Amino acid sequence: MVSVLAGLAAWIGASVIVLADGRRALAAGLATVTVGLAGVAWRDGDGLAAVVILLGGGVAAFLRQRAGPPGWMLMPAGSTPRLILCVAGALVALWFAASITVGPEGAARFAVLCVAGLAAARILSTRAAPTIATALATLVLAMAVATHFAGDSPGMAPYLVAALLAAAVMFLPVPAASAS
Amino acid sequence: MPPELNADLPLLIAAAATVVLAVVLSPAQASRKALLARGGTGLAGIVGVAVAPSLDLAVLVLLALAVLHSRLPGQRDFAQRLQLPVVAVVLIVFALLFSRVQGPVVLQRFAAVGLVAGIAASVGLLPYIHVLEPDDTAVASPIVWIGFTGPVVATTVLLRARDLLTADAGGEMGAMLIGLGLINMLWGTVAAWRTASPIGAWHYSFMADWGLALCGFGLFVADGQAAALLILFSIVFGRLPLYLASRQALRANASADRPINLMVAAALAGSAPFAGFAARVLLLRGATDMYWPLALVLAAGMLLWLPVSLRLGRTLGQPRGRQALGVGIVLAINVVIGLYPLPLLALAGR
Repeated sequence: MVSVLAGLAAWIGASVIVLADGRRALAAGLATVTVGLAGVAWRDGDGLAAVVILLGGGVAAFLRQRAGPPGWMLMPAGSTPRLILCVAGALVALWFAASITVGPEGAARFAVLCVAGLAAARILSTRAAPTIATALATLVLAMAVATHFAGDSPGMAPYLVAALLAAAVMFLPVPAASAS
Repeated sequence: MPPELNADLPLLIAAAATVVLAVVLSPAQASRKALLARGGTGLAGIVGVAVAPSLDLAVLVLLALAVLHSRLPGQRDFAQRLQLPVVAVVLIVFALLFSRVQGPVVLQRFAAVGLVAGIAASVGLLPYIHVLEPDDTAVASPIVWIGFTGPVVATTVLLRARDLLTADAGGEMGAMLIGLGLINMLWGTVAAWRTASPIGAWHYSFMADWGLALCGFGLFVADGQAAALLILFSIVFGRLPLYLASRQALRANASADRPINLMVAAALAGSAPFAGFAARVLLLRGATDMYWPLALVLAAGMLLWLPVSLRLGRTLGQPRGRQALGVGIVLAINVVIGLYPLPLLALAGR
């Protein structure tokens, strides 16, 4: 049950990041993804990894809440394609995790595929730096959780690097293009 | 030393030498401090990719490097420049996931497709060609991906991925690498020949070299792997520094037909006695061992390098002072490696 809830939280958080443009919604989405991914890691037996993900994602969400376009801006006009992407992405991830693949950790497979896919789609579909930074933070946290599937234990290094990256991208100043 | 790091060592040394050469020999008006900082960061990034204990960590470092590179001031904005590296990272992450989960055999094939596509996207090869803005600085342009970081990233990913895939999927990945390599080789040489822009011609010539390297990686025989390494070396410490040396003349729209230009053209074409020649001989030998018609296609494709290289050699203009010294050093090292490549191959554990 915890795994299912964690996977669901990861999808809801990633969907909020896809559907929103304001800093409050982006921060809330990132915090929700963080809780979901930490839950998945914790359920799979990586307690320390879950704490590291919570710290990295939590700091990143806090920093996002302090900077970026004000307000929520959840589902602004023209968001229908994004909404369809969120639902279709979840269905494909669910099909992959529950039907195509077998074995335990189905929630982890769903969460990684869903969050990484939606985060990448968000990065490719926007030019707003705060949104990209939030999606990047989400992507690196999902990448860290994906290391759980490696046969030989990757240790804490990917989680630590991902947590640091998630927080660091929020500090990154982004210059405008010289001409475009 | 892990075999992956061993294989990357010559490329890392070549990349470090290119950074040093670019800093020391850059024109006086250029900011050497900024060049050193950016080149050093890039070098640290590719060292991080090479020494990462797992492929997952290497991909995380690659993403960090992509973010840092995308935020450099340039003609294209942060979002546009980050797109293809993110595509590359996500494709590799999905490939790793597909190769590790329990499921049907076809997932291994999807993993192989993801790895090959991820490498193509990270380097900037067909079908993921990076957009080159002529007015971008060299460090902010996609040439960094195709000429500096790409060789180490591709070597790291391909060598480590072999342990993840089944034998069948590995064979299919080899076939895909050869197919993609041939397409890039033909597209790169023809486009470099026909394009109106000299900077575009340089960009396409990198793609053509990469085509040969991918064919070498795909052959899965010792000669093919050695050829791939030599070609990547000749990209990092051959084509890239020569491109950097030609940028001043490219901006001034100058060209020349002096002996130095012909020598540069010969080096770029992979003629004897330069490193590219040894690589091409090894590649043809490896291809003949595996499937001789492939060697025939490769040999025919290699002839297309001649007109392209003559064109690129002219764009160097008349290098003087520091620039001439830099071009001389690059040519001399390429001659040494071309005549006696064994130490380089031994360093890479080949």
